Amino acid sequence: MGGSSPEGRRDPGEAERQRSSVGEVDHGFPVKSPFLKMPNKTKKDKEATKSAKSSTKSSKDVSPEISDEAQQQQSGSKRPSTSTPPPTQLNKIKYSGGPQIVKKERRQSSSRFSLSKNRELQKLPALKDAPLVDREELFVQKLRQCCVLFDFVSDPLSDLKFKEVKRAGLNEMVEYITHNSDVVTESIYPEGVFMFSINLFRTLPPSSNPTGAEFDPEEDEPTLEAAWPHLQLVYEFFLRFLESPDFQPNVAKKYIDQKFVMSLLELFDSEDPRERDFLKTILHRIYGKFLGLRAYVRRQINNIFYRFIYETEHHNGIAELLEILGSIINGFALPLKEEHKMFLIRVLLPLHKVKSLSVYHPQLAYCVVQFLEKDSSLTEPVIIGLLKFWPKTHSPKEVMFLNELEEILDVIEPSEFLKVQEPLFRQLAKCVSSPHFQVAERALYYWNNEYIMSLISDNAAKILPIMFPALYKNSKSHWNKTIHGLIYNALKLFMEMNQKLFDDCTQQYKAEKQREKYKLKEREDIWSKIELLARQNPQSNRLHPLRPGLHPQEECMVYSEGSIPLFSMETETPTAEDIQLLKRTVESEATQGMKDMRKEKVLTRRKSELPQDVYTIKALEAHKRAEEYLTANQEAL
Amino acid sequence: MDAFKLMKELRANYEQEGYYIPKETGLNLIESTEQNGAGISAKCRDAQVEDLWGLSSFFGYSTQTFVLAVNLLDRFLALMRVQPKHLSCVGLSCLHLAAQRSAPDATLSSGHELIRIGQRRFTASDLSRMEKIVAEKLHFTSSAVTPLTFLHLYHQVALGQSPSRKEVLSLEKLEAQLKACLRCMSFSKAKPSVLALALLRHEIKAIQSEDMWEMTCHLQRHLKIADAELQCWAERVAGCLSDYASPRCSRPNHKKLLWVVSRRTAQNLQSSSCSVPDLPTIPEGGWDPSQSEDSSEDLSSGEESLSSSLEGEGAYFPLHLRRRR
Repeated sequence: MGGSSPEGRRDPGEAERQRSSVGEVDHGFPVKSPFLKMPNKTKKDKEATKSAKSSTKSSKDVSPEISDEAQQQQSGSKRPSTSTPPPTQLNKIKYSGGPQIVKKERRQSSSRFSLSKNRELQKLPALKDAPLVDREELFVQKLRQCCVLFDFVSDPLSDLKFKEVKRAGLNEMVEYITHNSDVVTESIYPEGVFMFSINLFRTLPPSSNPTGAEFDPEEDEPTLEAAWPHLQLVYEFFLRFLESPDFQPNVAKKYIDQKFVMSLLELFDSEDPRERDFLKTILHRIYGKFLGLRAYVRRQINNIFYRFIYETEHHNGIAELLEILGSIINGFALPLKEEHKMFLIRVLLPLHKVKSLSVYHPQLAYCVVQFLEKDSSLTEPVIIGLLKFWPKTHSPKEVMFLNELEEILDVIEPSEFLKVQEPLFRQLAKCVSSPHFQVAERALYYWNNEYIMSLISDNAAKILPIMFPALYKNSKSHWNKTIHGLIYNALKLFMEMNQKLFDDCTQQYKAEKQREKYKLKEREDIWSKIELLARQNPQSNRLHPLRPGLHPQEECMVYSEGSIPLFSMETETPTAEDIQLLKRTVESEATQGMKDMRKEKVLTRRKSELPQDVYTIKALEAHKRAEEYLTANQEAL
Repeated sequence: MDAFKLMKELRANYEQEGYYIPKETGLNLIESTEQNGAGISAKCRDAQVEDLWGLSSFFGYSTQTFVLAVNLLDRFLALMRVQPKHLSCVGLSCLHLAAQRSAPDATLSSGHELIRIGQRRFTASDLSRMEKIVAEKLHFTSSAVTPLTFLHLYHQVALGQSPSRKEVLSLEKLEAQLKACLRCMSFSKAKPSVLALALLRHEIKAIQSEDMWEMTCHLQRHLKIADAELQCWAERVAGCLSDYASPRCSRPNHKKLLWVVSRRTAQNLQSSSCSVPDLPTIPEGGWDPSQSEDSSEDLSSGEESLSSSLEGEGAYFPLHLRRRR
């Protein structure tokens, strides 16, 4: 029979990340903290990088990985956990690959910097040339020089020479701090922190959008920061400063305090993804090194989330914040504190409600799954919560929920599964019946998940009666052929589990259908009886017919604009004549439409392709993340 | 139909049934063939029948169609040497033939649908050719005498005596049990009349009806079925049905099936990966006297007073910076 397809596991980048974290790359991440389970990933993950089949015709053969799977999977074992949060995408917009049209109007970030009065900078001598004793003083001078702010927005060409001095100075300091030791002395701390603050802590511009609506992270291109040539270097410097082996949190905590952290957090709303990327890493390091600030950071992040969920529904940095939280959740000690459990229920679950969920969903799902891996007793409230927030009209969101639910089921304990199986499968039955084919497909694809199948087969007696009607009905009535194939697979798997159960469900379904038909017939009969009785009334012949000339059955029909009868009152299905009439109408109107289309010669852009700004794309692609010098939090261990 | 006519019909079918039993030598050959051998083994045949059962459930075919299909399949396999790679084509053609004969009206699905849903590799023209071959070899025209024929007749006889028995003796249940038996190759050797009677007796025993039991004895005498034969099959039926009724659920193998999804869903399932190093885990702080976590941590809600959180956190604004301005 046909070749099989490997399970479409999410997170195939896992394989690569795993390779990096066992020390093959030279930035020397530690292997794993003792709190994390040691995942057993070998061949199973390489398979995860293969994609699910995408053809709809008879497909190509994929070599079955049955032997590998058999080796890896113990009976009833759960999926091993992922160890790092999924990284936030810089470029969230899915470009359709159309022609890149340069926008006419280039939006500029209008961060208002208060420009320094005296911007004439004199170039200072190089650090490497200076004698050792003078270096500290020179370093401080350079730092102070970089506190001069320049204008990149209203007059980009102003002070070019001095801007270059600042840029070169920053660059030099970045190099200096990276390649030398013992340079972070006590006097550097306040200077460095102040330079950072003065350059970066600013009021962010209001979100701009040509049509005046809110910035939609899925659709609109972000407005990039105009002063980035300098700001990037400031960020780099500060990051290396934090990461320097000489850095001492005990000294730094005088300057990196709650006010600093608060201002840092406010910057997360920046539209520039590169900036948020730096902020994320910086905050992550600060959280790791400054134990005294941790509670404050968590509290403030919660406030940001609350405001986002319940007030504004607008914030650009949710994904980055969730990524940081993911690494924090990963490190929770057991047993979990109440505070963290409250966070899960009161913050993470409501985050699923927001309309722009797609921007941060991978990170959110990761956080939720990590929580459940830490403490499986939270499974029931989480799943019930998800079912409560289940989208009813937003289908792409529904697909996301299904993704997340599958990830949760991958790590669920069988005892917890028992508690939630009934409401869960009732929702799945609805998803399978959804007319939106992606929702139905995604739900049906659960049957390709080995662990879920093992859970189902252990509880088939409860689950099959719930799923069967939805599956069986849609095997005939769904409009999409691919769905039929998937339903067949699901039914076949149920058949293999227990034949008698399947037969019983079939019988029950058919009996139910019979009963419904019978009831309908009964109703019809009763109506006819009533009519008959009414006609016996001697005054009935004095009544004028509602609509003269029509057949009595047609009198009560509801008509649409195209005079196509929709439903008669008695039955709910259109009659054969209705269908014929509908067909004829469709045909006649369809040809008319075709003629109109040929008249239109003007080529209009597809609505889903927006003009793309080449500059923005290039800038985002050029952003290099800080790889070489980032080390893990050694102190925190 | 009155009792006399029924009995006459029974006799007529009884005389006919010999033509529709698969050749015994052929069946023996299949049973003795080893798995993965050169020919079709019993397991292969059983797997194929399971598949056909799945397809007929999915498409909503009647029991008649399924039973007829199995009958055709068994007869064909007993007659001809079929290579394992052709087995699925043979099976599907039997099903399609049976469907066409049993339900010539709207419920028929085209061969294309059958092939697509059944995840077969051959084409519709292959299917129709095979159908012709099967029909020709078996001299198949419209129907066959199968255990189901007898089951229906027996059931009518039983009902004829007292119509209230309809609730007690469910034809649907009997049909499901027959299907369960047919999935096992050993029952192909049974004479349809005997097998049906054995099934009926098994059910009647379960519902413990004395007079219906009497009726079955009467039927046995009427058709002159030997006691020993009936007993033998009754035992086998009991064995098969007890397996069928067990609540044990086996783990199905989803990998044998083809999972075809649309392009969009396939893209969604492949999550996009970035080869960028990620944020390493930050373990929750152990107790470190030099840098302890905020004492306000112990408060579970996040709404404690601001003053407690500011203790020991440094000056409100760095001192040296005030000096600058």
